[in-house]
Amino acid sequence: MLKLHYNLEKLSMGLVGAIIVVASVGGIIEIAPLFTIEETVEIPDDMRPHTPLELAGREIYIREGCYACHSQMVRSLADELDRYGPYSLAAESAWDHPMLWGSKRTGPDLARVGGKYSDDWHVAHLIDPRSVIPVSIMPAYPWLTRDLDTGLIEDKLTTLARLGVPYDDAMIENALADARAQSQPDSDGTEGVRDRYGDDIAVRAFDGDPLRLTEMDALVAYLQSLGTLTDAAQEMLTEDVP
Amino acid sequence: MSTDPKTLPGADPHTGNREIDPVTGYDTTGHDWGGIKELNTPFPKVALAALALTVIYSVIAWILLPAWPLGRDYTRGVLGLDQQAMAEARLRNLTDLRAGWLNRFEDPDFAALSDDPALMALAMPAADRLFQDNCSACHGRAGGGGPGFPVLHDTYWLWGGAPQDIALTLQVGINADHPETRWAQMPAFDWMADEELSEVSDYVAAMRSGEADPDGAAATLFAENCAACHGEGGVGGLMNGAPSLVDDAVIYGQDADTVMTTLLNGRQGLMPYWSDRLSDAEINALALYVARMSDAAGSTPSGATE
Amino acid sequence: MAVTATLTSTERQIGIAISAGLAVLGLAMAAVAKTGPMALHGGMALVLGLALVFHLGGALYDQPEPSARRQAEYYDAPTRFGIVMTLIWAVTAMGVGVWLAALMYWPEATPPVPATSFGRMRPVHTSGIIFGFGGNALIATSFYVVQRTSRARLADAVSPWFVLIGFNLFCVWAATGYLMGQTQSKEYAEPEWYADLWLVVVWVTYFALYIRTLARRAEPHIYVANWYYMSFILVVAMLHIVNNLALPVTWGAGESYTIWTGVQDAMIQWWYGHNAVAFFLTTGFLGMLYYFLPVRAQRPIWSYRLSILSFWGIVFFYMWAGSHHLHYTALPYWVQTLGMTFSVMLLVPSWASAGNAIATLNGAWHKVRDDAVLRFMFVAAVFYGLSTFEGSFLAIRPVNSLSHYTDWTVGHVHSGTLGWVAMIVFGAIYSLVPKLWGRADMAWPRAVEWHFWLAITGTLIYVVSLWNAGITQGLMWRAYDEGGALSFSFIESVEAMLPYYAARTLGGALFLTGAVLCALNCRATMRAAGDRVDEADRPLVPQPAE
Ligand code: HEC
Ligand code: HEC
Ligand code: HEC
Ligand code: HEM
Ligand code: HEM
Ligand SMILES: [Ca+2]
Ligand SMILES: [Ca+2]
Ligand SMILES: [Cu+2]
Repeated sequence: MLKLHYNLEKLSMGLVGAIIVVASVGGIIEIAPLFTIEETVEIPDDMRPHTPLELAGREIYIREGCYACHSQMVRSLADELDRYGPYSLAAESAWDHPMLWGSKRTGPDLARVGGKYSDDWHVAHLIDPRSVIPVSIMPAYPWLTRDLDTGLIEDKLTTLARLGVPYDDAMIENALADARAQSQPDSDGTEGVRDRYGDDIAVRAFDGDPLRLTEMDALVAYLQSLGTLTDAAQEMLTEDVP
Repeated sequence: MSTDPKTLPGADPHTGNREIDPVTGYDTTGHDWGGIKELNTPFPKVALAALALTVIYSVIAWILLPAWPLGRDYTRGVLGLDQQAMAEARLRNLTDLRAGWLNRFEDPDFAALSDDPALMALAMPAADRLFQDNCSACHGRAGGGGPGFPVLHDTYWLWGGAPQDIALTLQVGINADHPETRWAQMPAFDWMADEELSEVSDYVAAMRSGEADPDGAAATLFAENCAACHGEGGVGGLMNGAPSLVDDAVIYGQDADTVMTTLLNGRQGLMPYWSDRLSDAEINALALYVARMSDAAGSTPSGATE
Repeated sequence: MAVTATLTSTERQIGIAISAGLAVLGLAMAAVAKTGPMALHGGMALVLGLALVFHLGGALYDQPEPSARRQAEYYDAPTRFGIVMTLIWAVTAMGVGVWLAALMYWPEATPPVPATSFGRMRPVHTSGIIFGFGGNALIATSFYVVQRTSRARLADAVSPWFVLIGFNLFCVWAATGYLMGQTQSKEYAEPEWYADLWLVVVWVTYFALYIRTLARRAEPHIYVANWYYMSFILVVAMLHIVNNLALPVTWGAGESYTIWTGVQDAMIQWWYGHNAVAFFLTTGFLGMLYYFLPVRAQRPIWSYRLSILSFWGIVFFYMWAGSHHLHYTALPYWVQTLGMTFSVMLLVPSWASAGNAIATLNGAWHKVRDDAVLRFMFVAAVFYGLSTFEGSFLAIRPVNSLSHYTDWTVGHVHSGTLGWVAMIVFGAIYSLVPKLWGRADMAWPRAVEWHFWLAITGTLIYVVSLWNAGITQGLMWRAYDEGGALSFSFIESVEAMLPYYAARTLGGALFLTGAVLCALNCRATMRAAGDRVDEADRPLVPQPAE
């Protein structure tokens, strides 16, 4: 062995090859089976993709770095089930490019925050967290009241569809209209969004103003959708825990 | 390595001896990289022993736990563990531990529950934690409310302050997604003339201090448009979700400007429903907690925010 | 001597051509860009390219050709530049770190404008410090070390500049992108697709340069430091490419979607993230340690055999350990078990290298006592041992159930990065700066001593307060009272952190003060540059002309 190494040390390309081979093993054995073992991700029947508005909100969530303080992953630990709700399933992020599981909880987990608070609360909290939670250390995001940039929204759905997210042609074509309609509860387009994404989606003036489509609309729509794309997690837990 | 020491680099070709490091007594490997040399120290046994130990630990873990992938499947481990099932089991243990006191809240006989100090000693701290994690974001940590969110530690209620009323509010929410939600809307009066609006606003703003003029034009407007919900003279108490306008409890603000905003846009505060997130027993415990919060406060001036 | 004077006129012409290429690339980017950040980044490349064209063009005929003797000398100008960049990034990114630390208990410390928001500045800190500070230090020292241990001059004179300047352009793109809200959100891989691609080009050049230089070595054997530097270059390339595979939304948008989703994305992200720690923050710096510690201590490496064990152990085991970032998540249990067990086995090679470094100091302990520079290196080896022990411990599932998501992780991170990474870099810088600027010693030798004590105190305050914070937080989240109800609400755990966050800010400020002192000391030394030739440098083994 030592002799072998003694000779390897003399060959720079030999060392290069050896390093590549030795370093590849672990990744291949751990990653490849995640694509082949079917039980890894089981997509439930009721699962829906994010609406264009929620997707835009997700991008604001990423842009502002909310994931630096918030996880979206309820771990399989009793106290987390108690505090946050059913543990997260792999399926719930199966169409997430990228996943936003997070690695730090300066603030609470958000995987199940959808529906927990009202839109008004989210708006107040995002504009000034300390107006509702005096001891909060979350940053304020007053600039989210500006208009939402929807310039690339169709391209975004197209790209995601290419990567396997089930956005069909009608969804892509109507992306912009759907984003507007979801934040204008009394407009003509609301039926269309509901047709395409299901009756369970929230159609509201999330920021309180149906006339303007703002970043706040998008982000709040996204937050309100967290944990609501499928009921599988709730059902899984109620089946097993009385 | 070569067995003949004389052929080793750096070795004396006659004796086979290499440079000996005076501090450690070991010879060097004979290399010299810009002044750096290496000692030919024998392999430290302790490193090998430690490696063996950690490998044994790992092998045991691989045997006991799910570990190695096999194409379309993986080794399940002889313990047959499943992390999700384990978490559920632990949650079930906790539920059992709580059952002793929590199950009693399934029966909403609040008077009896309240009279059992031992029960309260367990239940109220638990309810407090539920309140802090779920309700305090809107209602404040001590129930002090905030702009848009009603005070809970006072004695004024939109829908009733008895524990069973509160429990129902929690079950179905107010203006929430629940099919049976409590529903209350303050309509917009944007059709009123500007003048009328400002008169009414001033009138309502003056109500709390009892200084509103009962004979003015605004009083008539109020009686015609508002009293149906807010009661004669705005005294409220109809438990229909519309607040009294003469007491200390204020949700959005009762200065003339805020009242004007309320009139122009209407209001429809949303209180989420909790029957999906909390069990009936937990909701009843919380209802009792909120009721007691207000009892304890007695007639504390409200509107104070946390 | 002007840097351009170290290049022949042919090399200057090649440089001009490459710079012009960069300017064209920047122009093209700015022209097709549909989003602000990409347009700005194109503009930066354009300006940088043009500036270099003018700089080199001006020197093309004005400056004399380098003397023919240069083939008999080491090429250290790139290393000097890299060290200056290291110091600039150190002060900037640590400054941002202190700012972030302050924001965590004083959230309104910055005006409510997007660019100064916590979530946007945090990756400026992490990328700025890991890539800007760590990366420049690694590249600069690797150039120095590979030449000395090979007794060969760098294989050519243009590509080191391409690597360093290109790498710094990447870092600037990254940091400014985050401030404008441009990010892929993959931790430690946040830059967008075009920056990722650019880094691939830079990295391939780096690899080619390194391997060509090694090929010219005079000693038949390759020294351990170079094994480590090479593993850093190679594996970082592998990780970077796989984790960053993404589909741009359109070619003109500085936005993209990673091709990976959900659990596979999580696994690949932390296969990357963990090994960014391993091959960026560990093996490269072990290369640094393996050169500067024995040279400074003037002692032979304690055990050649242990070096072999630790090197291959690290290269093999680390790559399995990434899943310890995903314990108890929706990642299947079997991968977690592998991550846990390989992290535990990883402790042995890690301690073998720490132990080898410390044992190398046998017979030089009096130097450790008297020489703050060697003390930096010694402390680095100790913290390397501490943080790898802590890491293996945290990787055990039940322990991780407590520590994950808490400030304990952040404490662990900084015991590794402040105690190990930054300390070894400071040790290397204090060794190199006097040598490379032709002096016997730093301009202010006593400031080195001050720096050492500031750094060690800062690290200890930082790490100890966050251990406390993290453990408190983890225990509060899972505490149940006797009735089986959770004892604490989440917000109570937030409040409980405040004193620790305050202490951490103080620790960070001390550490930053030390780093500023270091930068000033280096500047003073550079300004007083002499023409002393380092007599420890072995003469080059003559090379055929380029
Ligand atoms: C510096 C850390 C930090 C950042 C960055 C941050 N938050 Fe928070 N967040 C917190 C803390 C701490 C809390 C708990 C206190 C509170 O509710 O304000 C919180 C609470 C929340 C809550 C309430 C969760 C619950 O269940 O009570 C939501 C929703 C939220 N944040 C969303 C966001 C969004 C969206 C962003 C980005 C635009 C964001 N946060 C950025 C720290 C942060
Ligand atoms: C998203 C914010 C929000 C959260 C979270 C919330 N509430 Fe409310 N709550 C409200 C609002 C708004 C109202 C008043 C509705 C209205 O304006 O008509 C209200 C009303 C109430 C009322 C009725 C008061 C009355 O006078 O009749 C009770 C009781 C109450 N909340 C208790 C709770 C409890 C207990 C929780 C936690 C389980 C909780 N709330 C969580 C927003 C919230
Ligand atoms: C259909 C019933 C209804 C009518 C008619 C009505 N209100 Fe209301 N009012 C409500 C309800 C319900 C609320 C509570 C809304 C909430 O909490 O979101 C409310 C709230 C208010 C408030 C806010 C109280 C606070 O604490 O901030 C004011 C002020 C008010 N009403 C004034 C009026 C005036 C003046 C009129 C007549 C011009 C009027 N209301 C007519 C139902 C009504
Ligand atoms: C044997 C060696 C090591 C092991 C097994 C190890 C293990 C771990 C574990 C278990 C975590 C926590 C993951 C989580 O719960 O989220 C972690 C986080 C981290 N460690 Fe280590 N560690 C080691 C050495 C180091 C060293 C030497 C450094 C730095 C120089 C370092 C830097 C980090 C960083 C930056 C993170 C944070 C990742 C993130 O969440 O963003 N580690 N490590
Ligand atoms: C002046 C000294 C420093 C201070 C005050 C500081 C402060 C911080 C702060 C406040 C955070 C965010 C933690 C959180 O989100 O909870 C952080 C994260 C981080 N810092 Fe530093 N830092 C310093 C130096 C360094 C150095 C020298 C390095 C690396 C060489 C480094 C690497 C990191 C990493 C990798 C993270 C991310 C950790 C994670 O995701 O878990 N820091 N730092
Ligand atoms: Ca992290
Ligand atoms: Ca990237
Ligand atoms: Cu790791």
